[in-house]
Amino acid sequence: MEMLYSGGNCLDMTVLERQRAQMKLQPQQQQQLSYFNDSHLNFNGFNGGLVNGDSIIRELAFRSMSIDPALENGLSELGCYPIPRTGFVSNDSGGEGTINVAVEETKMMSANGTGRESFKKRKADKAQTPKVVETESVNVKKIKVDAEEVESKVTNKNSNSRETSGETSNDNSKVSEVQKPDYIHVRARRGQATDSHSLAERVRREKISERMKYLQDLVPGCDKIIGKAGMLDEIINYVQSLQRQVEFLSMKLAAVNPRLDINMDSFLTKEMVSACTDNSSALGLVSEMPNSAYFNQVQQLVSCYPEMALGRTTASSPMSIPEVFMGSSCFSQTQPASSWETDLQNLYNVDLHQGRPGSFSSLLFPGANNLKMEM
Amino acid sequence: MHSKTLFKQDFLKKWVLGLQYYGCSTKEMSISERTKAIKLSSDVAMASCRDGKTCWSRAVITDASKQGENKSLVRKILGNEYEKLTKYSIRSLVCNKRVRSKKILRKSRKSRPLVVLASTVIAKRMVNKRTRMLKDLVPGGDSIDDSFLLEETLDYILSLKAQVDVMRRFVSASESLICK
Repeated sequence: MEMLYSGGNCLDMTVLERQRAQMKLQPQQQQQLSYFNDSHLNFNGFNGGLVNGDSIIRELAFRSMSIDPALENGLSELGCYPIPRTGFVSNDSGGEGTINVAVEETKMMSANGTGRESFKKRKADKAQTPKVVETESVNVKKIKVDAEEVESKVTNKNSNSRETSGETSNDNSKVSEVQKPDYIHVRARRGQATDSHSLAERVRREKISERMKYLQDLVPGCDKIIGKAGMLDEIINYVQSLQRQVEFLSMKLAAVNPRLDINMDSFLTKEMVSACTDNSSALGLVSEMPNSAYFNQVQQLVSCYPEMALGRTTASSPMSIPEVFMGSSCFSQTQPASSWETDLQNLYNVDLHQGRPGSFSSLLFPGANNLKMEM
Repeated sequence: MHSKTLFKQDFLKKWVLGLQYYGCSTKEMSISERTKAIKLSSDVAMASCRDGKTCWSRAVITDASKQGENKSLVRKILGNEYEKLTKYSIRSLVCNKRVRSKKILRKSRKSRPLVVLASTVIAKRMVNKRTRMLKDLVPGGDSIDDSFLLEETLDYILSLKAQVDVMRRFVSASESLICK
């Protein structure tokens, strides 16, 4: 809804006008249709319409006055409009209960015009005054564009209304209600294309600019750059740098890990023999898949033990400590994917917490003792 | 903040799973091979953390599972989600087709003679060029719409950030282990 009002300030004239005309229908009938015979009379007709609840037309007339010198005569009349407006509101609501939105607040607004009426129905939760301002601005813009055209249209519509004068007030209100759903979809400004393709395109563009804003916040140094191309440049650079970082880090890991392999391998081969004998379930499983178990242990060691050390050493950055501990806790709590893994973890944790230098772990992890000491 | 750490944990778990897969295989690997393996496993792990909600993650997974040898790695990391996530590739193919027709349209439009090279036209070209570059960068980006591309880029950048963070920590952890 917001988009509707902010993005497309001006709604499609034709729909608005159609509704307006229909709304005007009865009041005009009541007010005598002869008003519309010439331009000055037109104004009178506007007055009548206004009295019956069409402030849009009032504004219209106002605008056309400023643009169209010929209509100056009506200015004085226009000046006193505000007062009749309110009084006429009550008339409108009394005369045609169906047209009114049924909400007390909106009654006032509905008096201003059919278009507004529908607006209010949709955003009754909003404050009244902004609504008025918005709708008025809409009207103002429309009218600016082609006040004269509108005028002629209004007269046309009046004639139309005469033709359809047979309709009852209930019918009219129904028609306006039927048209409301159409309203929601229309977002074009005056002079803008209203076909579905261009509307969709506009929505798409709005979406893009919104995303751009988010990206601006996300990418460092992007907030100072104006223009889409520059921002895209920055984003591309950032993504590239991140991807390169990942590559670099994986290379580093690859360079670091083999040495680990060799060290741990020697431990493991010695360990396997002795470990299988004294520890029951966990080690039996370990012996079944030595490589994976070993790897897992390495990972755990790598992730748990040094990360804690890291948490101490890299405490300069405020983020590091909690995240490091989260990382380590995830290993001890949530990782268990297979039984041997949990067993190993239990083993490891027991060692950690009880401080018992189990033969297996102490042999397997030279770092485990250090860890205990650090903790 | 909380979801970020959750994502990192998830990623780390899956990555370790992937690394275990390489730990299981007994064959010797050179440094470049290991680099590739680590990168691939981390990428797939990161993608699988997104649960196939985004195009880029799906693209990463499908790219990885295209090569026969990596299939088992992907299967290992994804676990029981494997079937679900690889199914998405069909949808992305459909996406591809749709875009192809769009491209044809664009080309035919280009064939019209350009009247004047207004600044707006130049700006548009610059943006288009960069968008294409971005599409190349983001996995699976060539099959998606512009507005969607930015969304994907947002998500991708966030994930990459998390990935870099976890990997950096991992590296420094293993380094400090060796020093000890």
